[in-house]
Amino acid sequence: MDNEVYAFALKNTLDEIQKICPDIKNAFVLTKNRELIASDGDTPEKTITRAVNAFEEMLEKAQAIGGVEDVTIEGINGRLNVSRLDEIYLVTVTSKQADLDYVNTVTHVIVPTILRLMEKLSPAPLKKNPPTPDIEPEEPTVERDEEPETEKHEKQLEPKEESETILPETPVNQLIVEDLKGLLAPSDTIRIDSTIIEEWNELYEDRTIEEADIETFGGKSTRCKVKPIKESKLDGQGKIQIPSKVQLTLDVKKGELVRVKPAVE
Amino acid sequence: MVKKKKDELEITTVSEPTLIETTDYESNLRANLEEIKKYNGVVGYILRNTTSASIDLKDPAKIIDYAILSSTTFDATEEVSDLFELGTLKNIIVNGKNVKMLSLTVEQNKISIFMENNADTEKVLEKLKAS
Repeated sequence: MDNEVYAFALKNTLDEIQKICPDIKNAFVLTKNRELIASDGDTPEKTITRAVNAFEEMLEKAQAIGGVEDVTIEGINGRLNVSRLDEIYLVTVTSKQADLDYVNTVTHVIVPTILRLMEKLSPAPLKKNPPTPDIEPEEPTVERDEEPETEKHEKQLEPKEESETILPETPVNQLIVEDLKGLLAPSDTIRIDSTIIEEWNELYEDRTIEEADIETFGGKSTRCKVKPIKESKLDGQGKIQIPSKVQLTLDVKKGELVRVKPAVE
Repeated sequence: MVKKKKDELEITTVSEPTLIETTDYESNLRANLEEIKKYNGVVGYILRNTTSASIDLKDPAKIIDYAILSSTTFDATEEVSDLFELGTLKNIIVNGKNVKMLSLTVEQNKISIFMENNADTEKVLEKLKAS
């Protein structure tokens, strides 16, 4: 895979991130050597170049504290964050109203996942000495708690071996946790977008999806009954309403990302 | 007292920070910095104004490196703040692998606090804002 494909994939990733986090005003990705790989469509390259030049010396001098892992510059109108993610620096500029937990959850999950995925598809051109890709077939049953979170996500994106009864590949949706409150709310039922349930039912024509598996990026998972979101303002927003008891089980809270898939066996 | 000159920054290292001006504000700031220095995980601080810098670090071998990092961080931040219209700076946090640096400007004073990664940044920030 050449740098252009890398840049294209990352640019699309940044654009998608901006769509789900409109509070991110600017976003761009640099190599460890401070070369621009990709940026969102709105940030002029001249601005990025000047920013990179400004950071150059600071990143160099930060060797005194072991090298930069993360930089946050907070102003009264917004915040700039530089995060080191493996071999790259991700730079985001957010407005002052931004929900930083949400922004960080999204950026720190999606970008590394895309990078790992691209590395897996082909050795990374961004690295001087890329590691030899693991070509051994993966076991179908996996020790979930011992895996890095991004690897787990990749495994879900890989084609699965056909089982005896041929079922379509299980769709996985990444949704943002919302609280599910109310006296009458059952503690074993989650609520998700009605369109997702419709898609699942269309995919598995001969079955009615009544349960779903929820999985966190920390490796915890549980199965719950699933129903469509009732509140129209939350429907279609990529949210998942989870009762507090289930949130405790999964060790997640509002604003975090989880993966959801239909329970079909 | 030792005086060194590097990168146009005059650095004064002291066993006890010297008082340059005796305004209530600065006295208060220095008193707070002394208290911050005792917080768990804090390894020292740099206080810079237009003419001089007071540095109090547990490891004197780091003085020059930390002073230059503090100085370049303020310069870089001013530039990117203008570029991305961040407005008046509230604070800067640089997390390194070994140490983190919290920097902020209060009036003419540029302050950088160096601490271990597990130190409580919010507590330090609150104390500085109370100056």
